Amino acid sequence: MSTMTINGKLAPLPDDPDALLVDVVRDALDLTGTKLVCGAGVCGACTVLVDGEPAVSCLMPARSAANTNVTTVEGIGATKLHPVQKAFMAHDALQCGFCTPGFIVEAASFHDSWRAAKGTAVPSREEIGAALSGHLCRCGAYDGIFRAVADACAGRFDGSDIMPPRMEARDKVTGSAKYTVDIHHDGQLEGVILRSPFAHARIGELDLAVARAMPGVSAVIALLGDDRIVRYVGEPIAAVAAINRRTALAAIAAIKFHSERLPSAVGLDEARKADAPVVFEKSARKKAGNVSEGGGAPAAWKGNVRGPSAAFSKKPKKVRSWVDGARAANNPLLVEGIFRTGTQQHACLEPHAAVARFDGDRLTVHVSTQAVFHVMELIAKRYKLDHDKVRVIADHVGGGFGSKAALGVETTTAIELAREAKAPVRVAYDRHEELSVTGYRPATEMKIALLPSEQGELKALSLTAYADTGAATNSTIAALARLIYPAEAKELADFDVISNLPAGAPFRGPGGPPMAFALEQAIDEAALRMKLDPIALRKRWDPDPNRQRLYDWALGLDVWRNRKPFAAQSGRYRRGVGVATGYWLYLWQPGSKVEVAVKGGRLIASTATQDIGTGTRTVIANTVAREFGLEPHEIEVRIGDSRLPEGPGSGGSRVTASVIPPMLLAIEQLKAAIQQNAKRQPVPGSNAPWREMLAASPDLSASSVRPEDSRQMAPGIESPLRQVGLLGWIFGWMMRRFSNLAIGAGVPSSVQVIEVEVDTWLGHVRVLNVHTGIAVGKIAAPALAHSQAAGAVIQGVGYALYEAREVDSRTGDVLSGGMEDYRIPGIADTPMISVHFDQGGFDHVLGGSVGIGEVATVPTSPAVANAICNATGVRLTELPLRPDRLIAALKGRAAA
Amino acid sequence: MTPTAMTATAEFRAAGTDLSERRRSGVSTGPLIDISAAPDMIGMHWDADGSVRLGAFTTIAAIAADKRLAAAYPGIAASAQGLATPQIRHLATLGGNLAQRSRCWYFRNPHIACLKKGGPDCPARSGNHLYHVAFDLGPCVAPHPSTMAAALLAYEAKVTTDRRNSITIGDLLGDGSNGGADNALQPGEMIRSVELPSPLQGERALYKRAISRTHAEWPLVEICARAVVKDGTFQFVRLAAGGIAPVPLRLHAVEAALQDRKATAAALANAAEQATSGAMPLPMTGYKLDLLKGVVHDLLEGLAP
Repeated sequence: MSTMTINGKLAPLPDDPDALLVDVVRDALDLTGTKLVCGAGVCGACTVLVDGEPAVSCLMPARSAANTNVTTVEGIGATKLHPVQKAFMAHDALQCGFCTPGFIVEAASFHDSWRAAKGTAVPSREEIGAALSGHLCRCGAYDGIFRAVADACAGRFDGSDIMPPRMEARDKVTGSAKYTVDIHHDGQLEGVILRSPFAHARIGELDLAVARAMPGVSAVIALLGDDRIVRYVGEPIAAVAAINRRTALAAIAAIKFHSERLPSAVGLDEARKADAPVVFEKSARKKAGNVSEGGGAPAAWKGNVRGPSAAFSKKPKKVRSWVDGARAANNPLLVEGIFRTGTQQHACLEPHAAVARFDGDRLTVHVSTQAVFHVMELIAKRYKLDHDKVRVIADHVGGGFGSKAALGVETTTAIELAREAKAPVRVAYDRHEELSVTGYRPATEMKIALLPSEQGELKALSLTAYADTGAATNSTIAALARLIYPAEAKELADFDVISNLPAGAPFRGPGGPPMAFALEQAIDEAALRMKLDPIALRKRWDPDPNRQRLYDWALGLDVWRNRKPFAAQSGRYRRGVGVATGYWLYLWQPGSKVEVAVKGGRLIASTATQDIGTGTRTVIANTVAREFGLEPHEIEVRIGDSRLPEGPGSGGSRVTASVIPPMLLAIEQLKAAIQQNAKRQPVPGSNAPWREMLAASPDLSASSVRPEDSRQMAPGIESPLRQVGLLGWIFGWMMRRFSNLAIGAGVPSSVQVIEVEVDTWLGHVRVLNVHTGIAVGKIAAPALAHSQAAGAVIQGVGYALYEAREVDSRTGDVLSGGMEDYRIPGIADTPMISVHFDQGGFDHVLGGSVGIGEVATVPTSPAVANAICNATGVRLTELPLRPDRLIAALKGRAAA
Repeated sequence: MTPTAMTATAEFRAAGTDLSERRRSGVSTGPLIDISAAPDMIGMHWDADGSVRLGAFTTIAAIAADKRLAAAYPGIAASAQGLATPQIRHLATLGGNLAQRSRCWYFRNPHIACLKKGGPDCPARSGNHLYHVAFDLGPCVAPHPSTMAAALLAYEAKVTTDRRNSITIGDLLGDGSNGGADNALQPGEMIRSVELPSPLQGERALYKRAISRTHAEWPLVEICARAVVKDGTFQFVRLAAGGIAPVPLRLHAVEAALQDRKATAAALANAAEQATSGAMPLPMTGYKLDLLKGVVHDLLEGLAP
């Protein structure tokens, strides 16, 4: 048997020629800081040092590690933290943290060789970008990573340890943070799902006997629905739990079944045809998924097309007649166009995963989820268990972005396999599953018409959106155009186009980015034709007080004032500046409860929410610390466990606005109780009166439920639904009644000004500078809010330039199931990002803060497109703005 | 088609950076033969005439980092620096890079039959071939994935295997007419080394790939270009392109348009237009012709004084 030395210790290597180093490190040695993500050498999460050089352990046969020295992230800061680890903490160069160990290993290696060769010279962004080009971060922490690596190389973190602004940063930079995929119980089995190879078929009897009889297999279960119909490639058919993944894969390959192929329709164009086969017969429509954050209203179905959902329209017939009239009269101000967006995958680096374990009648499930409490409720309901018999845990979650908000198949399968096998079972999706069947932001085709009046007001807006929702419904895109830019009349219609593709899911501001891509380009075009400054036109047409302040900020930016005239350049490289606006609803979750306690002199804040990289732990710690005059790291934050008081899901940007108000009430009560129980008052003039009081306090606790907001509001602040009248009120009531989401007053808003450089020869777009102005009230955790804002821009750049799921339109196979074909931004694609927080607008919310996650990403893609138009005179109407499309547009021909 | 039918013959494994992904996905299921370097099969062996022999086991990172190689063969060094990612370059070998399998998304999907897995036809041809060939030279429409092969073609390098001496890159990879294979190696034939002819006096070379992002993406188009320009005249020019055909292609028409011509802006632009001579794009790959001309033009501007 051969051996390697790993983190200074000798370890055996398996004889199996197919064993990979990553599996030995993670499974045999339990060094779970090293992550397996893409399995193809693209993302770098599995990077370890082999004889001092970074290597992708997911592609390295374990055999070839024989007689080498391997260092994992656990070995990097084992005795004392590496300067790079301290720099990552200090610059908050991480969010969910799943990619962080890989970055740390590579950056430490780069740092060490840089320092050896160049002392404390500062590497350029280009040098850092090239050195870290083999790593991907889905949260978009690159802005902080640049600063961290540069500062560490400059020697600024050679000294003593630091207190990071993010509570759990230390666990993430050392690799000790445990995610769901890292959980390993004794006797734990691996679960794998057999998925449909067909886009549409009726599955006959399953022969599970051969699989059940295979050595190492402990459970085989069927997963088909009652109609036994599979409606997309990848729909679950059966599942196996076995001693390891390879045995489980062999077992699912041994499951035999007959199938009757049914005609299929794949994608927007096929599924809309009059003779297209119908995906969901009337009786099966309940099986369709949901692509929005809340429930939806009923709508008519015609074949595979569901809609129109047009409740947010206003005098739609007027719109039609005015637009028709303007077109007939060749009114030059009438802006019309068709815009298309691509299918965006969440591409969480931690895959959807669950580990289920029964202890008697008690079920514990570790889930990579955005909603520990809600998922506990759903599990209890589905399996008819009492709430106190089900516990859902998610200490750390490697990204979610909307795709992990519901009870997923990975979780139900793990539970059902664990029950059948009478042993703990882990189900963790592979990358192809993650990039095909876990949801996506649907592609769209949007038809827009925008008509200014002769007086220069916005007279009429028409937006019709068809969303490529796959086996799901409830897309809300056009309706969102009602809540911004008031007009005399609006015709807004949403259609779902259901087809034989996996179901879409909510994704960070679901219909917001596509809506903005169409609307914000139409506004830009109107400004051009009206010969007005595009920001000034928005300021005229958009009375929202939060955005009025952002427009004033944007008008003052040098990059905006110094931009070149429209399409005035002729060389190969052309620069342009564009602007776009975004908004999202301010949502909060009624019933959210926070407990604040003093125990043994230490403050503990508890709520059953979770931190998916957004910074919830830190928001809670900062708030408690500020109220007591302490340091955040003195506060213990307990989240990620459904046994704690009911907390909000991490979706709809709701967490901050759901937890701060009840926390402040609980703090008030706790302070009163501490004072009542105090034997003596603090020394007069003490700088830390609460520290003294807490040290002397008996154990006490207080909790509070999320209160309603104050009705006292600043001028112009109101619920955005007020614009929609009675229907808006009904919509709000339904959201609260059926989705447990309250829509508050005031509109979280963002304005982005973006500068690009276009290479007209190679169709390449480089985003140079982004100024993102955000109004979400008071910022509870500034460094982390900055990370969220920058990360939202980077995801927006991905949506704008690179990201699109590709399928085979005949078979329904997802072709972009690997990270090399589904292209998310890398570090070198990161622009210079400057973040401006306007901290007003939400004084009616206790604490004054609302969420940032979604609003911050909405305007990026139209701002990029508007910048390209400013540079080249060419308006690009289809996302992503890939080289092939840019080249075609520049040459005035249609892209393939 | 069952997964076991796909790749029944034994495959050599050097560093395994290509093979490991296919083993995990189930595209490769046959027996493995682990190979390791004999002393003469690794590293750079320089000759008195200034030429060099590169052992097949030399890592891409070693090729990318070697200063003497970068001085004598800048196109080789730049190509090595431009491919994959640092962590892959540290492991991957030159021989493995030349013998790697296609990156086609149909080929890499274990559930889809294709010519390279013994299937009856090419699903990309009638399907989604956004990243495929613009020179349709054979039944399979996947572009050849080897960046080093294109660079070596530009240098007119020779390859020695355990069975054949000093064969051309064309001999090694074939002409693209065999859709079932990514190269013309015989079963069990192993690449041992690559010989680069001594560089010309005053020659310069550049490498560039067109991609959507900045780094770490399979090329839409990539080109390695060499030239000797003396007194403003192209005395020698070689260009080889990858990403556009089942095998790397020499751009003979561009070379002919420049040979013995003055390096004027008009001549460069005209030569770049010749890059698409003989192209046969697929319905979705017409854009690659524009990129091809763009990359050629970019490189010629870089090579001209």
